Order: sequence, then structure tokens, then C-alpha cells
Amino acid sequence: MSDRIRLSIDGRELTVEPPLSLLQAATADGTPLTSNVGCMGQGVCGACRCLVRREGEREVSTVLACETSAENGMQVSFIDYFTPHRPHVYDIAGITDSWRIADAVRDVFPEADHCRHCGGCDRACPKGLEVQRGVALAAAGNLAGAADIFDQCVMCNLCTLACPEHIWPNHLGLMVRRAVTALGLRPSDLIARLAEIERGQQPIDFSGRDDHDAAAGAARKG
Amino acid sequence: MAGLNSVLLDPAIGVGANLAAWTSAGGGEGLARALDRPQDIIPTLRAADLRGMGGAGFPTWRKWTAAAEMADGEKYVVCNGNEDEPGTFKDRYLLRRTPHQVIEGALIAAVAIRAGTVIFYINPRQAESIEAMRHAVAEWTDSGLLTEVERVVGRNVRLSVAPSSGRYIGGEESAVVRWLNGSFPFPRRKPPFPFEKGVNDRPTLINNTETLANVPHILKNGADWYRNLGIGGASGTKLFSLSGDVLEPGLYELPMGTGLQELIFTHGGGMLGGRAFKAVFTGGPSNTLLTARDLDVPLDFDSVRSRQSRLGTGAMIVISEGTSIVRKVAEYVEFFANGSCGQCPPCKCGTFQMARLLDRIATGRGTEADRRALGHLCLILPGSGRCALIDGAVTVVQSSLQTFPEEYATPGV
Repeated sequence: MSDRIRLSIDGRELTVEPPLSLLQAATADGTPLTSNVGCMGQGVCGACRCLVRREGEREVSTVLACETSAENGMQVSFIDYFTPHRPHVYDIAGITDSWRIADAVRDVFPEADHCRHCGGCDRACPKGLEVQRGVALAAAGNLAGAADIFDQCVMCNLCTLACPEHIWPNHLGLMVRRAVTALGLRPSDLIARLAEIERGQQPIDFSGRDDHDAAAGAARKG
Repeated sequence: MAGLNSVLLDPAIGVGANLAAWTSAGGGEGLARALDRPQDIIPTLRAADLRGMGGAGFPTWRKWTAAAEMADGEKYVVCNGNEDEPGTFKDRYLLRRTPHQVIEGALIAAVAIRAGTVIFYINPRQAESIEAMRHAVAEWTDSGLLTEVERVVGRNVRLSVAPSSGRYIGGEESAVVRWLNGSFPFPRRKPPFPFEKGVNDRPTLINNTETLANVPHILKNGADWYRNLGIGGASGTKLFSLSGDVLEPGLYELPMGTGLQELIFTHGGGMLGGRAFKAVFTGGPSNTLLTARDLDVPLDFDSVRSRQSRLGTGAMIVISEGTSIVRKVAEYVEFFANGSCGQCPPCKCGTFQMARLLDRIATGRGTEADRRALGHLCLILPGSGRCALIDGAVTVVQSSLQTFPEEYATPGV
């Protein structure tokens, strides 16, 4: 048995047995998670955004709890999802003229031009994306370049929370990805993944869940 | 010991931007003394124990000595009039009402460190202050009075007014330098300090407006006079921006070391609606709360610090029974969240998260888990930013959690 470690999460002192992710550690004492949880550890939903301070370090970093190993002495604070002050409304199906696409994006995200180049979004991104460059490319009309940068974005919203100019970078990135895809080719990894699922090569593993979840999973799998 | 409004706010010197009126009210004598014996300027400020009035209370003579000891060449003096903290409204008043007092103080600083450029850095939202200073600066430039200053400094002396960014963060020293160098006012870690590398990478002395306004009076009347204005071990006077639940809010100049009780109940007319006193947020407002057992505290830098708080800018936001501490803290943390410059994600994200938790608790939607999470953020966040914004926000939250736990009581859960 490996040595147990102590850490604190949102003010709860926990003693857990590694290796565990921070998300697993947060539920190790049986506490149900009612927020900051989505894909349960696959690193794709961005819900488990949090601030982490490692023992003895001054630095506080922004990470996804499901992708970060629990370490002794860690202090972890989960961060809420913050909704936009105003909704970003657009109809991707209505964007049919690629000559007008940059204008369409600018109409919905006029703040993209306001970037003060503080680099906060880059530092905040737990996926290590070049968010600030993505925003600059989108603002300059290079939507293909911007979409490429935001391709791995999991919409954790940390860049948006970090942005002092209310640019909403991840939401901008999502619109750009949608628009570029609607007017061009689907991303190759998405095509491949859908094909795998259709061939039954990507089954969803519900083992380890309780009976209720397993039954629900079986029902969903049909 | 001084009476009310006896130095900086003396009615006799409220002459506006008219230079002739300033000199006939006794202005100019401090500068004349400084020009006679420039080597005595810094020792006089040291003997007077003049402190930085922008909030830190740092001994002014140390800052001036550091800038003076830098090798000769182009140097800068910056008068910091960014003033954007909630509840602080003193510098704008000095700049508008007696601009020559501030200009004279800045010129004495230029003589002390041999600086050729003096910049008045003023919040653009205070249009009247900027206009008064532009007018006053033009009067100095046209008067020929600068010739003697230039002779002693050994180079041309230029005065200018520069509107600041108007952002809260723009008052921090390294942000002042960034803005004056043409960039967004992002603070940076120190060192290097502005006295080493400031405007145009040259040695730069940055002082708060109120600090500089005191200088001509000290040079004119002497260090002993200044020391005797204060009460107890404290020197001089302090401008107090009194606001909140008091009958007569306003700007009061009182001896440094005046009791909190006297400020609120004698000068401020007591509590609004006869309600009981509850607490004070000191400027601005990023410090530990003062409460009823602190009513006897002498309001000077050292005494307030001995109560684990800070005098800060001299802003005193008074809260009575019936006003929610959590609601007020939520408002201030929201202000800090919006004012955070964005460079440091823990500052921006942490203040927003604290503001959200505070808002939930203040509106009765909070849970015990929210209160605990808030306390936990206070442990994680200090020191995680390049400047002190996040530390100030945490201080006020933590202080309110410790001092008013009952206001954070959450239903059930």
C-alpha cells in the first residue's frame, strides 16, 4: 500500500491513497459532486476547473481536476462556471457566404479587438492553448488559423474568467470552429472518432459504477 | 497639535490655480528654503517623519534618498493623482483647490533628487483637477520662477500634466511607469523599483499627491513644527475621507493620531439614524476591518498597524448596525475583480470566484460549503499576483470572516 497523502479541497481536509486525480480525491470520502463535474475524468468537458497551490509554492495555477494528480499538501479550490453577461446569439446555418464570415464573427464578438495582450488567457488555459494568438487571428479575420488553435478547447471557461476585456475567448473560439466547419471540412479526428463509434470500437465503459448507473448506461447503449 | 483643516485644507490657501494668490497666501517660501539649502531637504523630511500618504506610510525621505543617490542624468518626479480606490476622495480636492501647493512640493522633490521632468499623473475622471493643474502648471512655466529651480537642479525643468488610465490598477507604482512609457498599466514584480528604472528607464520618484502637498509646509515651517502637529508619537496631519453611515461625511484634515472615535462622532456628526457603530473599512478598502473595540485607536500608520490593520489612504468607510458586512465585502471584492488587470489568472479568477461566493451568501443562497470554500480561497490566493491587489482583496474577506462570522452563517446544510 502506498503512502497516504493529505490535501485540502474547498476547505475539506482529505487523506487519500494515491494515485488519484484531484477529481477522484474530491469524491474519495464519499462526498457527492454536484457541480464542477461532467465527463468524469476524460478531460473533455472542462467542468472541473480549479485553482491549485502546491505545497511550499507561491504560484497558483489553473488546472482541470481530472487531469491533475493529487499531491501531498495541495490546496485546491474549484471555480464556478460563469455565464456571459449577454448571450452570444448567431445562426451558423445562416452563415453561407465565406466572404462575410469575418464580419459575422466580429458582429457577435466585437470585444475581440480590445485585447490588451496581458497573456492571462494563455496562463489560465489548462490545455496549454495559445488563446491570445487565437483571439488575435480571429480578430484579424484569419478564422482557419484561429479554429486550428481552439480545436482542442474543452470550454472550461478559465480564459473567459481571466480575460479583463470580456472577450470570452473560448466562446469566440467555439463560434469560429463552428463557422469554419460549417463552411468547410469536418475535423479529421472528429470524422475518425465518429467512424470508430459507428463500428463499435469505442464502447463506453461503465464498469465500476453502481448498479443504477450501470443499468442506466445499458439502457442508453440500447 | 493641529486643529481641523489647519495645513493642507487651510481655508486661507484655497486660492485655486492663481499663482499670485498662492504666493501672497504665503506660498513659495518652502521652495525658496529648499533652493537656499538643497542639501537640507531630505534631512528635514526625515526629521519631520513625513510618510507616504498613498497608503503605504513608507518614510518619504528613504524614497527620496534612493532616487537622489542614483547617478545624475535625466530623472523624473511623478505626482500620483490616480486616486481610484472606493471611498478615497482627497487628492482630487488638493489638486483642484490648491494646485500650487502640490506643484511646489513636486518642485522641491525635483531639487532634492536633481530631476528635470515633473509629471502630474491624474485620473481622467477628475476633469476639474486636470484643468486646474494645467492652468497652474502654465502659470509656473510663464512666471520665470522655474529659472532659479533650473539653476540649482543644473538642467532644464519641465512640468507636465498626464491623464492616467483611470484604472484602479494604474495607481500602483510600476503600473504608473508602464502607462507613462506608453503601455497598458500592467503592474510588474519589483525590483527593479521605479527609483532604479522608471519613466524612460530612468530613475523616477513617485509620490502620492498628499505627500507632496505637505512638503512645502515642512520646508517653510520646519520639522519640529510638523512633528508637533501630530498626536502622540505621530507627525503632521492626515486627510480623512469619511463616508458611509455617518451624519456628516466629507474630507477632514486632522492631526495624525486623532482617535477613530473623535473622527466619527465629533467631526462626522455621529452615526446616521442614531444606529450603533459596527465597523470601518479603511482605505481602500483592502485592509482588516476596524470594529467597536478599535474606536480608541489613534489614526496614524503605526497605531493602526498595531491593530493588524492599515491606515491606508485615510479612507474611512463607516458601517452601522443594520448594514450587511457581507454585502459590503461582496461589493468591494467585485470592484477588485473588475479592476484586476488580467495578467495573473489566480488574481482575476480568484477575485471573481470570491465575489460570486460572497454574493450567494449575502443574498441568502449560500451554503456552508460556500463559506468554507471562501475561507479556503483566502488560504490559497495570497502572494499569487505580481502586485498586491489579490492580497488586499483577500485581507478584507478574511478579516470579515474572522470578525463577523455570524453574518456568514448559512441556513441549514
